[in-house]
Amino acid sequence: MEFKNSKIPEGINVSNEHPLKNFVYLLLGVTGVIIIVLLVLFYAIGFVAKWVPFETEVKWAESISVSFERSSDSTQNGLFDALGLPNTDNNSDEHDEQYTLRVEKITVYLQDLADKLAVAQGLPEPIKITVHYIDQPVVNAFATIGGHVFIYQGLIDAVDSENGLAMVMAHEIAHVKHRHPIVALSRGLGLGVILSLVTGIGGDSLSSNLAGHVNLLTSLAFSRGQETESDIEAYNTLLEYYGHGLGSTELFSELIKTSQESSLPELLNSHPLSQKRIERLEKMGESTVIDCSSATFNCTLTLLPEFAQSLKE
Amino acid sequence: MYDLIILFVLLFLGYVFGQMAEKRHFRSIIKREDEYQSILTFAKRFPLNNDGDQRAELVGGNVVISVDYFKRFVATLRNLIGGRITTYESLLERARREALLRMKAEAHKKGLNTIVNVKLETASITKGNKNQVGAVEVYAYGTGLLSNHS
Amino acid sequence: MIVTNIEVVPGRRVAKHLGMVQGNTVRSKHVGRDLMAGFKNIFGGELVGYTELLTESREEAVDRMKQQAEAIGANAILNVRFSTSSVAAGAAELFAYGTAVILE
Repeated sequence: MEFKNSKIPEGINVSNEHPLKNFVYLLLGVTGVIIIVLLVLFYAIGFVAKWVPFETEVKWAESISVSFERSSDSTQNGLFDALGLPNTDNNSDEHDEQYTLRVEKITVYLQDLADKLAVAQGLPEPIKITVHYIDQPVVNAFATIGGHVFIYQGLIDAVDSENGLAMVMAHEIAHVKHRHPIVALSRGLGLGVILSLVTGIGGDSLSSNLAGHVNLLTSLAFSRGQETESDIEAYNTLLEYYGHGLGSTELFSELIKTSQESSLPELLNSHPLSQKRIERLEKMGESTVIDCSSATFNCTLTLLPEFAQSLKE
Repeated sequence: MYDLIILFVLLFLGYVFGQMAEKRHFRSIIKREDEYQSILTFAKRFPLNNDGDQRAELVGGNVVISVDYFKRFVATLRNLIGGRITTYESLLERARREALLRMKAEAHKKGLNTIVNVKLETASITKGNKNQVGAVEVYAYGTGLLSNHS
Repeated sequence: MIVTNIEVVPGRRVAKHLGMVQGNTVRSKHVGRDLMAGFKNIFGGELVGYTELLTESREEAVDRMKQQAEAIGANAILNVRFSTSSVAAGAAELFAYGTAVILE
């Protein structure tokens, strides 16, 4: 009997496919599937969430805000105790009273503006806007579930006229009108479920990582879409309320001027870039014929009331 | 954002260095397989039926090869779809042939020229709660003999 | 001590079977090696530390098996098999077993 080991040709147990080609196919395939699943989910949830009655939304908002207030109260008390600050000081009491009055005055002013804009925007019946004023120098405003709109002092300081403020206010009201907060909340919940499923099946940090990234980009794209929708709605509200769209770009110009603009590309932002928003608004301004000679409206900016200027000085 | 950059840097590093290491390893395997061509291996259970066998000794060789980031990422993607994970196939092929070569090298050192009843054992080594460390161990062993082939 | 994983020793005859003998060891590597392994997990390549660890462990398992065989008066172990199992993250059990015999 003869014994020998013959040489076996290479490449039988390994495939000759280029690994990069394989990788690109896989990445595109998987990302595509995730995007499709997310899109279907986003649209489905967006569609369903709009049918949640506003009263239900308000109830949810109440349950959330109650727990929030409770926790913030306790931390504040705790802080005062720890610092040993006297709570009953004559001087500060007087100051406090004045301060409270001013905050109240501004809140009433903002609420009044919001109510007028809501009418101009044609906010459907059960939806109500509740404005909250926050005396902090942050240039920000946001709308959340239950029709609550938060306006920061920093934002009021950042705009030059009431028109600029009305633009932001109308933008937030438009969010509420289009039910964006409840849609975003529902999408977040739906995504959480899907993501945990993917993580559970994939079992690997890598797969959940990938799903997370794709999810983030998709969510941001949807968020930008909502912002644009609200911008357009807000501009039309301004036209309805003032008769012209002057001042609508004030905040965005200010953001660019003070370079508070995000340095990331638009793909990675929740809001469209300010420059783009200005361009869109200007284009809208060009396409609408404004009759400045009309008797009812005049093409001037409305000034902000003096008491609304920053209280810090 | 930074996560994404880190991910791509790791993938790039994994691909470049992993492919380089794999190519180099295959070249070295083919070269050494030629060197040890004289040592015959069989998966049969009994010694060759001639009278040359005088010594019998257990010989073995093992190797632990780590996956690279690129291979692991491709495998993860593949896991979602299903199908052939080609990046792991080449990894295991390398590991098996390397283990067999080390076994042959041991036999050569002991002056033996035949290995019968070759067995291969594969074990996956993972560590960390998310399997941060992934590697495969292959152990090849058999009975080394001194026989005159033909 | 002759150790083979076939059922005979060429040219010798088994005089007496003494039953099964076994040797095992459970080992793990220190953190430094693990860090290195984590690093290698990006670039790929052989984990020399782990290879050494497993080689040493198998040698020890075989050694213990031989000690058992010696203790019962055998001069060869036939049909040796190895088995590996990970008992905990980062620790592995190496196990060797075979039949102890006395050759003529």
